[in-house]
Amino acid sequence: MTRWFEDVTIDEPFPLGSHTFTEAEILAFGREYDPQYFHVDPAAASQSHFGGVVASGWHTVLVGHRKMVDALDAEEVRLRDLGQEPGVSGPSPGVNRMEFKSPVRPGDTVTYMLTVTGKRPSNSIPGWGLLFNSLDAVNQRGETVYHAELVGFSKLRDFKMPRRLAMLQALTKVPVLGKLLGQRS
Amino acid sequence: MNPITADRRHFEDLVVGETVNLGSVKVTREMILSFAREFDPLPFHLDEAAAKRSLLGGLASSGWQTAALTLRLLGDGFLNRIAAAGGLGFSDLKWKKPVMKGDTIWATATVAELRRSRHHPQWGIVGIDLAVRNQRGQPVMTMRLANLVEARDPETGMQAQVVQPYDVEQGGGQ
Repeated sequence: MTRWFEDVTIDEPFPLGSHTFTEAEILAFGREYDPQYFHVDPAAASQSHFGGVVASGWHTVLVGHRKMVDALDAEEVRLRDLGQEPGVSGPSPGVNRMEFKSPVRPGDTVTYMLTVTGKRPSNSIPGWGLLFNSLDAVNQRGETVYHAELVGFSKLRDFKMPRRLAMLQALTKVPVLGKLLGQRS
Repeated sequence: MNPITADRRHFEDLVVGETVNLGSVKVTREMILSFAREFDPLPFHLDEAAAKRSLLGGLASSGWQTAALTLRLLGDGFLNRIAAAGGLGFSDLKWKKPVMKGDTIWATATVAELRRSRHHPQWGIVGIDLAVRNQRGQPVMTMRLANLVEARDPETGMQAQVVQPYDVEQGGGQ
């Protein structure tokens, strides 16, 4: 997120924009990452229960991720323009759930929406908070394409490192000690 | 019967506990940059200097790239050899360690769960545990996938429905 942990509001939908999937890009993604016949071969795909080519679920997810990166970038620019310092996000530890609900066919337009459903300070990384995000993808007929529950890190603005913790962290910079301390955490 | 998948292994042929070695792939600098430009344009996946200054300490692949490369290994090594009928999704995807430029990742797939679809007697659902490691044997990613597989005998599925009231699957697969 481009917001500080303290500023993240729960259950406020954040639109990420839309993407129209062409047959050419569905086939190209399938050939590179998911070469099952219903993602790469229109003639064979017509024999499947889908009745034609459909996008790999992973393709729809990766495009959703790209939309999120772009939307958060734009939000960062907007905040700077308002004279505010944007927050800092960290790498994601993972995805709790991903449910593929309905297939995406050539020409379908998918709209993505991000919602933070919960947050708490991290127990393991001082100064950072965990964000629990929902990402929902919906097609032009209003059908859910996928629902995801993602985890992300966001930095605390008002965090003041306790002195004991600061000393401990400084000690981890000493090579041998750092290794020993690292084994403990 | 679906002519495309007729000769492949079907739901009834799979066994819980079966593990398939999916092989490996080397993640080059060019692969990292090209994937990041398309799907994850963050500085530490795009720019070696910025990556050195980041928490990761060097050019690392997007976690989603590790997932996509694993998906390719899974397709070639398993899904294209069974009568797979689309993915239902996944759970508990954990990125445990960054994949750095020049790392080789290798993956295994283990059949963790088999159950008949409650709503669609022509399908079963296979739960697949994916484990991905780097060349030093360190875990980099794990997840549990759920995939539809065609059953040879839909009748068995109709009977199985009675004893599997916990099946809540609703999706149509991707």
